[in-house]
Amino acid sequence: MNEALPALQVLDLRTRYGSREVLKGLNLQVAKGEIFGLLGPNGAGKTTLIRTIAGRIRPVGGAVAIMGRPVSRHSMRRIGLVPQEIALYPHLTAQENLEVFGRLSGLNRSQTQEAVRWAGEAADIEARLGERVEHLSGGWKRRVNIAAAILHRPDLLILDEPTVGVDVDARNGLHEVIKQLSHLGMGVLLATHDLDQAELLCSRVGFLRHGVIAPHGSPRTLIFAAFGNQREIIIELRAAATKPQAEALQRAGFAPSNGNLNWSMMGESNERTVQDLTSALERAGLMTREIRVREPGLDSLFLRLSRDAATAARESEPA
Amino acid sequence: MIGAMLRVMILSLLRDRGALAMAFLLPPTIFVIFAAIFSGATGDEMRLQVALAVAQPSALTERLESALRAEPSLRIMEETFSSEAEAIASVDSGEADVGLILASNLDDTGTAPVLILVDPAKLLAGAILSGQVQRLIGLQMPDLALSRTAPEIASIVGGFTPEQQARLDAAIAELSADDTSVGDTAGLVQTEMTGPERASGATVTYYAGAVAILFLLFSAMQSSATLIEERNSGIVDRVAIGPAGTDVVVMGKFLFLTVQGIIQVILIFAVAALVYRVDILPYLPLWLLTTTAASFAAAGLGLAVASICTSKQQAHTIATFIVLVCSAIGGSMVPRFMMPPWLQDIGWYTPNAWTIEAYHGVLWRGEGLRDIVSDLGWLLTVASMALLVAVLVSRLRLKL
Repeated sequence: MNEALPALQVLDLRTRYGSREVLKGLNLQVAKGEIFGLLGPNGAGKTTLIRTIAGRIRPVGGAVAIMGRPVSRHSMRRIGLVPQEIALYPHLTAQENLEVFGRLSGLNRSQTQEAVRWAGEAADIEARLGERVEHLSGGWKRRVNIAAAILHRPDLLILDEPTVGVDVDARNGLHEVIKQLSHLGMGVLLATHDLDQAELLCSRVGFLRHGVIAPHGSPRTLIFAAFGNQREIIIELRAAATKPQAEALQRAGFAPSNGNLNWSMMGESNERTVQDLTSALERAGLMTREIRVREPGLDSLFLRLSRDAATAARESEPA
Repeated sequence: MIGAMLRVMILSLLRDRGALAMAFLLPPTIFVIFAAIFSGATGDEMRLQVALAVAQPSALTERLESALRAEPSLRIMEETFSSEAEAIASVDSGEADVGLILASNLDDTGTAPVLILVDPAKLLAGAILSGQVQRLIGLQMPDLALSRTAPEIASIVGGFTPEQQARLDAAIAELSADDTSVGDTAGLVQTEMTGPERASGATVTYYAGAVAILFLLFSAMQSSATLIEERNSGIVDRVAIGPAGTDVVVMGKFLFLTVQGIIQVILIFAVAALVYRVDILPYLPLWLLTTTAASFAAAGLGLAVASICTSKQQAHTIATFIVLVCSAIGGSMVPRFMMPPWLQDIGWYTPNAWTIEAYHGVLWRGEGLRDIVSDLGWLLTVASMALLVAVLVSRLRLKL
């Protein structure tokens, strides 16, 4: 019966910081075994949402349920929290850290030993259990950081930016660990700015903006809904466009994405697109380093949502 | 380039209120406290609490008592005891800093009619009182000074003639009505130690307790700062969602700091016992009780400071301030009897004063549990209140 219950259910959640309403009727559901990517710009309320789920902030309205139970000291035991910081004791070994957090999560001595063995395997850190955390590399620290949160085998695992500051190999390793944990049946709420990561890992993602999660859905569905069969055409210039050149690019539908060096637009594309575009740009005096056409990703969607929001804000300003 | 660095330092200092307070508020505050202590210690403001005993009052003792009570540098206890034993008890209990016994015949030159009883931990108090008594007799009772000196002169010169004796009597009578000063009075004051006979010095016993509480406070404040590290590193966030909550974090640290404190105090007193022969073993149970209560108080205060402060720098500043001020006015640096009375009164609000008092009571005066129960009670109250603050503020911080 428990399998049918969502790991996390958030209904019409409203929270306030003083007079400022941060979450304005937010709805969210994370099923067991699912990885949900929580995306959004800085200050959108991701941390507030996590703190509310963890019982730290009392909402002014709505409800949060973990495995069907409202937030309480008892239901919170079903949560594993991986903070953005390395929340470990640096002078202790990985094994000692896990033992400490096992006991603090309510396990007895023998249960803790078993949990350390299991979590060590799940996070693939068995080889480093005997090393002090302060001597581990960033990637290994992140793995131990995750292992310390799953010792009590939570139903809901909340990860806050779990791959910040790690190299590509370590990041890929962490992705494998997170996938493995979802396969074990944990519902995973992954707050991240890494849109590639969200696209690769998450079965569903949601953009937290203006106090609600919208849009949300599977990455492919959201991208298709926004762009259909369009492709993203990206121009990388050798030198920044002059003002008339920039105006010309904007008239053609391009938008700058990295100062005046990178320009992109959505459009129909075929095998002649790159060749024709190169010639046209050269005629306009623009030297290109690279022109590429790619399928739009979550980053394209994020960019569009940000631009739409900026446009809406400009239009709503009094003249 | 140097200017740019200078700008960074100035702006950082101005924007870090803790550092700013440390840099500019702490030095004058500490100076005021130490100035008050040491200006008192040189005699300007030091007002010794004196237990006065007069077995058989006479006209002379009454005049001297009036002069003593009028002397602003002394605080003669309200009750004049009628026996030496009562004065000794008052000094031994620490109620009075020093005892003063007046014989009825102050002009008797056969014995020293003024006896000063000194607690060995307060040797300076005896010397100061002795000087004050002789000064007062010289200033206020020159007739007594002369009458005590005359027999010695008479014995040296082979006796006065009746005429000389008459002139001397007239001079003494005149002096008793006059305020004119004559020289010091010899052989008037005798000083005796009170308290038990011990192999060690009272000062060493005093400072073992004084240093113990000083270090307890320092190390508790320093170790408590890990609470701030854990808050900033997310460890508290992680633990807070578990069944333990933040209470376990605070309580666990409280126990650790207490045990760490007890070990530190054991080491200090081990040196005192081995090197300075301070007797501890006969008083072990009460000594351990005092040590535990003092460690509790220091641990509680350390955690309260760490829970209230938002950064390690802030905690460091406030902790340094608290430890220095408490140790200065609580008697860890200079014995409190040497401070002005108002500072002695404030000193009772520090854990140092109560801890030092309890250790001295147990180890020097050989007091029982009943005698030190108020000292321990105060320390345990501080510990409980501070721990409660630490627990509640830590819980509250999770909501912020």
